[in-house]
Amino acid sequence: MDYLGQDRREGLGRKANSRVVLVILILASVFLLLSSLYSAQASVFKKARESVLDVTSPVLEVLSGPIAYVNGVIGYIGDYFAVLEQNDALRHENAELRQWMNEALELRTVVSGFEQIQSYQAPPQVRPVDAYIIGEANDAFARSMIINAGRRKSVEPGQAVVDAEGLLGRIVHIGANASRVLLLTDVQSRVPVYVEGADIEGILVGRTRARPTISIIETSDEIEVLPGQRVLTSGAAGVLPRGLPVGVVEGDASELEVDLYANYTRSRMVRVINFRFPAIDEPAENDVVDAAAETPQDETQAEG
Amino acid sequence: MGYRAEQLFAILRSLTPTLLGILGVLILALPIRFFEGALPTPIIPLVVVFFWSIYSPDFLPSPSVFAIGLLQDLLMGGPLGLWASVYLVTQFAVSSQRAYFLGREQKVVWMGFALAAAVASLMLWLVMSLMSGALLPVGALSAQVAVTILIYPLFGAAFRELHSRVLVEV
Repeated sequence: MDYLGQDRREGLGRKANSRVVLVILILASVFLLLSSLYSAQASVFKKARESVLDVTSPVLEVLSGPIAYVNGVIGYIGDYFAVLEQNDALRHENAELRQWMNEALELRTVVSGFEQIQSYQAPPQVRPVDAYIIGEANDAFARSMIINAGRRKSVEPGQAVVDAEGLLGRIVHIGANASRVLLLTDVQSRVPVYVEGADIEGILVGRTRARPTISIIETSDEIEVLPGQRVLTSGAAGVLPRGLPVGVVEGDASELEVDLYANYTRSRMVRVINFRFPAIDEPAENDVVDAAAETPQDETQAEG
Repeated sequence: MGYRAEQLFAILRSLTPTLLGILGVLILALPIRFFEGALPTPIIPLVVVFFWSIYSPDFLPSPSVFAIGLLQDLLMGGPLGLWASVYLVTQFAVSSQRAYFLGREQKVVWMGFALAAAVASLMLWLVMSLMSGALLPVGALSAQVAVTILIYPLFGAAFRELHSRVLVEV
């Protein structure tokens, strides 16, 4: 084989590839890198990201279907070997969940009874937006996903994205029909959370590992956190609603790791929680309260 | 074939490496999770940049490399200019060693690619660690780079065929 015709001049032109251009472009990209450090939210960069999202999302959407199929098939191959154990585990879990279901139904009637005798203010209604994951940053340090819902479906930056099991991340960039979700494991991710039962509020900090850590905001007392306690969003700062399940505590108080509920390798359908923090001067909506007080009862009756 | 069509094909041929790089970026952005995400997606644009920087820099001028890197930055949501500078520095380093690689055995070139990929990932890790203010774990990155190095012979052979049979008319 010859030198693959490297002596021929059939490319985009000899002059285009001069050293000078290369060095200038290196300097330009380093300058970009430094400037994006200080102005990551600059409107020019934001615009560029949004247009790239809009341009590529149709392509990603078309390609992600077959890829999900192949992912599934390859996933199933592993499942075949473990089908018996999985079945057994699922049967046990199902039995346990049925007990929980009965308890939950009972509690729902009790709570709705209390709601009727108290002057109860329902938490603000959320309007979830369903979407598919069409893209994912296969990058060692950037942990994000692209979903096929954007401004047209009234998705906004900051909103929470959940899968069937728990919180996945937050919306950071939006295009017209697609948006980017910053995952909880990304090094830039910060989400206010609290540990249930331990009365501890903190910030969930991503660090590109599978398990993010909780950094405690203020510690007047000794922290008593037990492994296995649930971690939920605290709703501090009012961007996310309170009480979205995030994961369970792993490890001791010196380094509070969180084992996330969300499964990044399996989730395909997600839900954007379209939440707006109630303003203080907003008048209380009486019909919402009535509706919230009535619906649970109706549903229990229908199911019972 | 008419003159027009021939011209069109010539343009297409000269654009092929750039388009392959863009395709590589799109592959990186797809939700590929084979074996439940245990298998990292190879960084194909790095292979494209390395290969054409050695064998035919004319087909992959630095503005193309810049565009590929910038597209990856925009699509991945990372800091802008990160992958652009990684790819451009790789191109700079490789093109300075071009005379050494030309005509060598593929094994030697493969070793060269492994070195280039290692340097590129070191650079990536350093920049990201500096930007996040903490030493980031290297596990995911080294797995991804290892996969990229392992697939190089495959893609190198495919690109070689493509280049010598289609792009450069014999």
